[in-house]
Amino acid sequence: MMDSLTIAWKYIMYYKARTATLIACVTLIAVLPLALEVLLNESEQQLLSRADSTPLLLGSRGSALDLVMNSLYFDDETPGLISMSVVDEIDASGLAIPIPFYVSFQARGFPIVGTTLDYFDFRELRIAQGRQLALLGETVIGAEVAERLGLVPGDSLLSSPETMFDLAGVYPLKMKVVGVLARSYTADDLAVLVDIKTAWVVQGLVHGHEDVSQTEDDSVIIKRGEDNVVANAKLMQYTEITQDNIDSFHFHGSSADYPLTTVLLLPNDERTGTILRGRYLDASNPYQIVEPGDVIDGLLANIFRIKNVLDAVILVVGIATALALILVFALSLRLRQREIRTVFRIGGSRSTIARLLATEIAIILLASGLLCVVAMVVVDSYSNELVRSLFIG
Amino acid sequence: MRIILLTALCAVMSVSILAAEQDRLTVYTINYPLQYFAQRIAGEHADVVFPASADVDPAFWQPSTEIIADYQQADLILLNGAAYANWLNRVSLSRRKLVDTSAAFRDKYIHGNEGVTHSHGPDGDHSHTGTAFTTWLDFNQAAEQARAIADAMTRKRPELETVFEHNVTALEADLLALDKQLQSIVATRPDLPLLASHPVYQYFQRRYGLNLHSVMWEPEEVPSEVQWTELERSLKEHPARWMLWEAEPNPDSARRLRDLGVESMVFDPAGKRPNEGDFLSVMQHNVKNLQEVFN
Amino acid sequence: MIEIRSLKFGYPDTDFSLRIPDFHVGTQEKVAVIGPSGSGKTTLLNLVAGILVPEQGTVRCGGREVSALGDAARRDFRITRIGFVFQDFELLDYLNVLDNVLHPYRITRALKLTKEVHDRAGELLQQMGLGDKLTRGVERLSQGEKQRVAICRALLPSPQLVLADEATGNLDPRNKGHILDLLFDAVQAHESTLLAVTHDHELLPRFDRIVDFNDFLGADLA
Repeated sequence: MMDSLTIAWKYIMYYKARTATLIACVTLIAVLPLALEVLLNESEQQLLSRADSTPLLLGSRGSALDLVMNSLYFDDETPGLISMSVVDEIDASGLAIPIPFYVSFQARGFPIVGTTLDYFDFRELRIAQGRQLALLGETVIGAEVAERLGLVPGDSLLSSPETMFDLAGVYPLKMKVVGVLARSYTADDLAVLVDIKTAWVVQGLVHGHEDVSQTEDDSVIIKRGEDNVVANAKLMQYTEITQDNIDSFHFHGSSADYPLTTVLLLPNDERTGTILRGRYLDASNPYQIVEPGDVIDGLLANIFRIKNVLDAVILVVGIATALALILVFALSLRLRQREIRTVFRIGGSRSTIARLLATEIAIILLASGLLCVVAMVVVDSYSNELVRSLFIG
Repeated sequence: MRIILLTALCAVMSVSILAAEQDRLTVYTINYPLQYFAQRIAGEHADVVFPASADVDPAFWQPSTEIIADYQQADLILLNGAAYANWLNRVSLSRRKLVDTSAAFRDKYIHGNEGVTHSHGPDGDHSHTGTAFTTWLDFNQAAEQARAIADAMTRKRPELETVFEHNVTALEADLLALDKQLQSIVATRPDLPLLASHPVYQYFQRRYGLNLHSVMWEPEEVPSEVQWTELERSLKEHPARWMLWEAEPNPDSARRLRDLGVESMVFDPAGKRPNEGDFLSVMQHNVKNLQEVFN
Repeated sequence: MIEIRSLKFGYPDTDFSLRIPDFHVGTQEKVAVIGPSGSGKTTLLNLVAGILVPEQGTVRCGGREVSALGDAARRDFRITRIGFVFQDFELLDYLNVLDNVLHPYRITRALKLTKEVHDRAGELLQQMGLGDKLTRGVERLSQGEKQRVAICRALLPSPQLVLADEATGNLDPRNKGHILDLLFDAVQAHESTLLAVTHDHELLPRFDRIVDFNDFLGADLA
């Protein structure tokens, strides 16, 4: 037996390329479905863990998935807007802590997430460099944003105009990077976090400009009345909030009317959560409350339906490849006819020949198995990052 | 054995001291009256901080990023509401920690349009258009604000409810005593015409039914000739004998007023920390000053 | 040593037919078999070795009637008593020189690979002038060297009978004589009998006896 192993090993070592190809084929067939399984499980877990850790979301009635994807994964599909007044309502009800979200703009390809400091506490986001948001126009960026754009605290980041042809004239805002978050391996790594008020500045709802009653450039003035001054669009809008101009930034109208995409709700307990959900059940209510866990469960059910199809495809491909492998072995037997005849001529019996060939195949399968295990260990240990980079990258 | 027991005792004691230390609430306020209310309600159970230096008007203040960071670290941040302290619109604070102490009477805010932007002092421009904010000069409202503070503290430290309740009741009694005093003073001569040097007495005027007209002067500056002319004109329709000042007026202004038959008296709104005494003693002094006017 | 009587053999589905009324080789005799292609010279060697079994007649070898043994016994007999040298060497490319020589010991139970065998293989290769190429891959050897390896492999079990099928057929003329010398010396040293099929008439004088297959054509089996 030991001799068969030695001989088979010598054969395999001699025909390295042929053996390597076979091992690679067998390994791939085994690893592909297994890796897919691991990655899907991991992505399910990741999607679910973020969704499950988010109790309730309030947003406009419409696609619940849009609400969840926009506020949990900062997807650029913006759901219908709701107004800030709902946050005051929730506050007044005392049933939950509301964390408003305005996720509608981007800065160099990364989502600008307008929210409040409560969000940092809720997600336990730690600031690795620099400091927390303090003033209007400041931003704390995710670890991935910092890495990809090469930004450190003290640098600045320009918001992208919402559309190229925005007639309202949304001026890009030069935001000051004051902090970089520690890596959390979630969508927060790819977020440009700003105060909700700064998000409104990005949109131009809160803005600062030269004091129109004191400007010396008459060309910007359309009409100067006793106590009212009408200015035209030439009036410069600041693209950067500085120590000198911050005082000029002001809200137009009531902040209660300002837009949000969603409000994350942290109910005091299960009971208040149920009460809150009840209040927004009515289909005539323009707002709805969704439970992200449920929404993602639904999404995953679909993904797993797709996975079944995928599994079937892999099965068919696997069978085809197995047949091809058998053919390869059969062909190699024919190629090795001469060699087999030699073994026979020098005294090898049929069973000896069969044993030698079986040992060779066993070694190939064993090597593939080992490779497969190694590959799976690697996939498993990197599945976290892999899925994160696939999902949030 | 005794040593072990002693060590254990020491350990237990230091732990409980530490625990008590951690249990102390950190409360930041955005003006002096709220600091005073909060400190009286919390007693030893909270560090109540109003970080602005004594020479700035908290209504038109812009805290540094370091001070904002301190606010962010607090357990509670007490706001006055009524659009007071514009800087709040330009900084990031945790909503969860914010307590709008005047939310209960939000629908009773006084909104006015009393003038265009003007400039004075080191703080740059400020405006009195919009909402009147010296809510606490209506002592009934002040008591409501105190109650809101007590409620917020109780939510944070339910185990201290009886302490907070006891303290806030005492504070309410003090505030309502002032309220009652003022009502009875004004009731003696409700029509007595008065002048205010600055439009900060809106709630005060509404609550106590004062016949008060306001100009836009500053205690430390002598008014311009135009302002004097305007005053003389208005005195014809509103023959006031007294003008209320936020602080001791410039002697030249006081002298020229006296020449017009108008005496000066100080009614300090105490938005910033007083140099002497506390909120209650300043208000008691204010009431005493007003008592003299009505006598 | 070899005794064949009234032998008849044919491959299935062909009209090939070999008839040998009587054929024998004495102990330590060196016999050359000549004859035209397809006349059945290789078949004769295979019958003697017990690889093929006759339809009729008997094949005795070293006193045993090979044709009467069962499959396994015939193979064991062949492995232990007969050394076979082939025209195309029948070496395995994936093994080195020494491993090729030892290969029969590794794939059969009838031969036991002992240290003594191992040493003897080394000596034998040394004698054949391959002492410095024991671990060389056989594909890197010259034709002559390859045949020397094959001869070593055939002689290692000290067979009573050596069968050589065109052992010099793939060699250049200069090598032919040399290899044959080596083969003859080895057979001599082992006191073996040699039955060799060859086309090389110039080599014939070295043999004790020459059997011409033409003699068997149309022979009648008595």
